[in-house]
Amino acid sequence: MPKAFRTATGTTGLGLLLLVMGAATLGPLLAPYDPQAFHPAARLQGPSAAHWLGTDQFGRDLLSRLLNGAPSTVYFGLGATLLGVGAGSMIGVIAGTAGGWLDSVIMRILDGLLAVPELLFTLLIVTFLGGGMGQAMLAVAIAFTPGMARIARSSVLSIRTREYVLAAVARGERSHYIVLREVLPNAVGPIIVEATIRVAFAIMIGATLGFLGLGAQPPSTEWGLMVAEARQFMFRNAWTVAVPGVAIAMAAMGFNLFGDALRDSLDPRRSR
Amino acid sequence: MSFHKVPRRSALLVMALALAVPNLGAAQDDPKMGGTLKISHSTRIATLNVLSLSGPAEYPVIDMAYSGLTRIGPDSQPMPDLAESWEGSADATEFTFHLREGVTFHDGTPATASDVVATYEAILNPDIPASAASVLNMIDTVEAVDDLTVKFSLKTPFADFPTSTAHANARIMSEEALAGDHAMLDTVVNGTGPFKMESYDSARITRLVRNDDYFIEGKPYLDAVEMHLFPDLAAETTNFLSGDIDVMLLVQQADYERISSAPGVNALRVPSGRYVNVVMRFDQEPFNDLRVREALAYAIDRQLLVDLVLEGLGRPAHDNILSPEFKFRIDTPEKNYDPERAKALLAEAGHPDGLKLDLVASNRPAIRAQVAIAIKQMALPAGFDINVETMPHDTYLANVWRKGGFYMAYWGMQPTEDATFNLLLTSNASYEDTGWMNDEFDALVQACRSTTIESERADAYTKAQELMLAELPYIIAFYEDVLTASREHVQGYTLNPINRYFYLESVWLDE
Repeated sequence: MPKAFRTATGTTGLGLLLLVMGAATLGPLLAPYDPQAFHPAARLQGPSAAHWLGTDQFGRDLLSRLLNGAPSTVYFGLGATLLGVGAGSMIGVIAGTAGGWLDSVIMRILDGLLAVPELLFTLLIVTFLGGGMGQAMLAVAIAFTPGMARIARSSVLSIRTREYVLAAVARGERSHYIVLREVLPNAVGPIIVEATIRVAFAIMIGATLGFLGLGAQPPSTEWGLMVAEARQFMFRNAWTVAVPGVAIAMAAMGFNLFGDALRDSLDPRRSR
Repeated sequence: MSFHKVPRRSALLVMALALAVPNLGAAQDDPKMGGTLKISHSTRIATLNVLSLSGPAEYPVIDMAYSGLTRIGPDSQPMPDLAESWEGSADATEFTFHLREGVTFHDGTPATASDVVATYEAILNPDIPASAASVLNMIDTVEAVDDLTVKFSLKTPFADFPTSTAHANARIMSEEALAGDHAMLDTVVNGTGPFKMESYDSARITRLVRNDDYFIEGKPYLDAVEMHLFPDLAAETTNFLSGDIDVMLLVQQADYERISSAPGVNALRVPSGRYVNVVMRFDQEPFNDLRVREALAYAIDRQLLVDLVLEGLGRPAHDNILSPEFKFRIDTPEKNYDPERAKALLAEAGHPDGLKLDLVASNRPAIRAQVAIAIKQMALPAGFDINVETMPHDTYLANVWRKGGFYMAYWGMQPTEDATFNLLLTSNASYEDTGWMNDEFDALVQACRSTTIESERADAYTKAQELMLAELPYIIAFYEDVLTASREHVQGYTLNPINRYFYLESVWLDE
């Protein structure tokens, strides 16, 4: 295992990531109850032998809902990031490789978009697209694009003048070959690191949108929505809010710490 | 059992108090003058146009600023307002209202019969959106006999007419305001009510001050009333409990227990005819088949719904649109949860393997989606596979409301049987949304308008309800209580189950 993952934060990040990804993959199969089933005799209860994490206002099992909601929460973050990273990298690589006036035009537009905070930008896009999971995912992806483009472009710029790229140019390779074979594989490190950390933000923005009623809709078990639905009852049973809240925090922290460790391990000055 | 319920005895006590409070004059202490009452609410006061407004926080403002010809009292009977008395002809086709003398609008101009005529002509004008139109469409002509006398001639007899004139959206506006630009009515208030508008900020605070020329001597007691908007419910509750706010206009069921047990707080629970109804269109599959509608009716555990969604703060209903508060309401047969019977009905209707359905619920208020989700679960064993689709309220209004085949609606209580039926169920009802269009039902409701003989009306309303229960245009699973709360020093605050009249001129602060 790379050295960076043997530190406390690295291990924690990796552990949380495995836990969250495990829940997202196997969660619905592991749920002890039907996540939508009512247990009227056991509403708003704390943890017990029957309900390990307690129950909500309909007596629905919180553990089952949490496990059931893991895929929609985590894959939302992954999906939104993937889309944003894909689009952003493409734009960044084009701008970085092309240079000249095209680079200037693209980058000035992106600079303008970067001036708007990501959450605000997302809310703006959702307002146009309307609420719902798909729209929210697209909105986060769009909001991520300018930042990713900028990172991809600077990677490309630093690589474009390396000897092996100049050699390829001297060999007379076509420009798409140079971009795909010489530039991109070497620029991908920083992009992956940034993407991993962005998954954490995407999960949190997704949960925020769910909480605000702009993302997932009831009876979905998306975690942000779980917090929103439970908020009314937090004075009666704090577990209803704490369970999905802590889960969101754990998922975000997992990706964040993992991203940090990944960056350290890819940093030539630190990893040896 | 960890069911969370208000102990029945204390619930009854609260209800008894709610009924007793209207006799505020009889309280031991004499009302004290002065002070500012702060009311919190969680929905925007988007407009102050009396003719068309419908927001929960908009009604208290116009109840303070305007007067109707009549008003619904805390006992749900019509009481004098701008009209101090009225009489109807023996056949109930002509009503004459006598206005109070010397009443002026807030701008100082006198309020006379011509203002009343102008207001009713605006309500009846088909080009002007007016919520009261369907309830008052029996009016043939309205004329000013003299400055203080208004005579209505009706197309058909209608004994409850003085109740209809109390409609919350039929408050009297000045002839001058109605002749001007109607866009001004959204923000400019000129009424004859106990309080005058001082400042109106739809996003923050709306402040009204005492009308020194109010027509009831000595009232109002308060110097001013402020309406504070809290878009966040948790913030609203916290502010109320900390003592910054005197009255919390609407309390959520989930918070009621916590608020009512807080020191220094009077929580008020008024049984009401408010309901969430399942709309099933008669002209679309599969609900065009009565057996499918009945199957769903038997697939719902109504008491459980009251416990789960209303925290016990309501009463189970059995599909009668009229709650027990209505005079002509019949004893309604109970429909007990019976998934087996529902299953059999579904099979009989040609769906032996169950039915897959999409049920739409707007996300406001949250109760719609909660009821929908609960119905989905309860109806599962009966063979209904319901997919609940929640959506933003605006999308719902634009795409689903009065168009969709299966969705959740939510309505407040109306003042009369006639107003209830003509709001939703008659063929030409204002918000007809089922496609039921039953001529016999229409005729029965019309017959009740046409007679003043009590027994004939009781008979026709009974038949109308029986027909409604047999044909099942809606599933109505419960009646929701209206919940509000005030600080202990607030005296004389009460609510009517219709939740459109607030009597704030009788409220005073014991500080």
